[in-house]
Amino acid sequence: MVHFTAEEKAAVVSLWARVNVELVGGEVLGRLLVVYPWTQRFFDSFGNLSSESAIMGNPKVKAHGKKVLTSFGNAVKHMDDLKDTFAKLSELHCDKLHVDPENFKLLGNVLVCVLAHHFGKEFTPQVQAAYQKVVAGVANALAHKYH
Amino acid sequence: MLSAQERAQVAQVWDLIAGHEASFGAELLLRLFTVYPSTKIYFKHLGLCLDETQLLTHGQRMLEAVGVAVQHMDNLRAALSPLADLHAQVLRVDPSNFPLLIQCFQVVLASHLQGEFTVEMQAAWDKFLTGVAVVLTEKYR
Repeated sequence: MVHFTAEEKAAVVSLWARVNVELVGGEVLGRLLVVYPWTQRFFDSFGNLSSESAIMGNPKVKAHGKKVLTSFGNAVKHMDDLKDTFAKLSELHCDKLHVDPENFKLLGNVLVCVLAHHFGKEFTPQVQAAYQKVVAGVANALAHKYH
Repeated sequence: MLSAQERAQVAQVWDLIAGHEASFGAELLLRLFTVYPSTKIYFKHLGLCLDETQLLTHGQRMLEAVGVAVQHMDNLRAALSPLADLHAQVLRVDPSNFPLLIQCFQVVLASHLQGEFTVEMQAAWDKFLTGVAVVLTEKYR
């Protein structure tokens, strides 16, 4: 189980409060699909993913990105209890969505990059460390129920 | 491996780094050690506590090597051969650490360059650095 210090929790929560989940969600998912194009395999029904601009402007990508990041926001609220928080989603990703857990790490890393992009110098090494810990925890939690 | 467009993107990224090798390199190492403390074991020979001077010196050295890679995107193996030997025979950095460094590199660029660091640049840079890592670990066995 991941343990977060009080400082790490404070850093994560206070930054998250200033995240525009709708905007950032679309950007994170979009970047994932551009930087790691093989992840597009899960999104055949999303329409035009043929170029960077098509992906970043795709309304389905934006909508789904928002959904994913809203769910991630749950992690921020339950940092001490990630496994239980994501148990159902873990089963879903294994049994229905058939997503290789490696993808959770990729998404987490892209999220960290997007946060750095938005917050610039404020996204200090310490803040990055706290967020990398959260995304790693979420990735593990989402992989936990795989069988 | 890299398309003409990707090479142009990589060159564009390098233009934003050139001249700042020391400070970007130092921040890269600082983030690496802060976020992934296990990576510090590879730098113990530089002293127990890496002070700012050491981070700047070593960071500059690393980024200058990246600059060499950028100049020789067509022939990474030849250009990086001495470094590949060093990593295989002396440093022997476990290959799993290179993605950690690459992640921190992306974060340095994103946080410093913000709007200037586009999605396409991130994609090309990621692909390029991954290729560099492959070359640096190729002689391991």
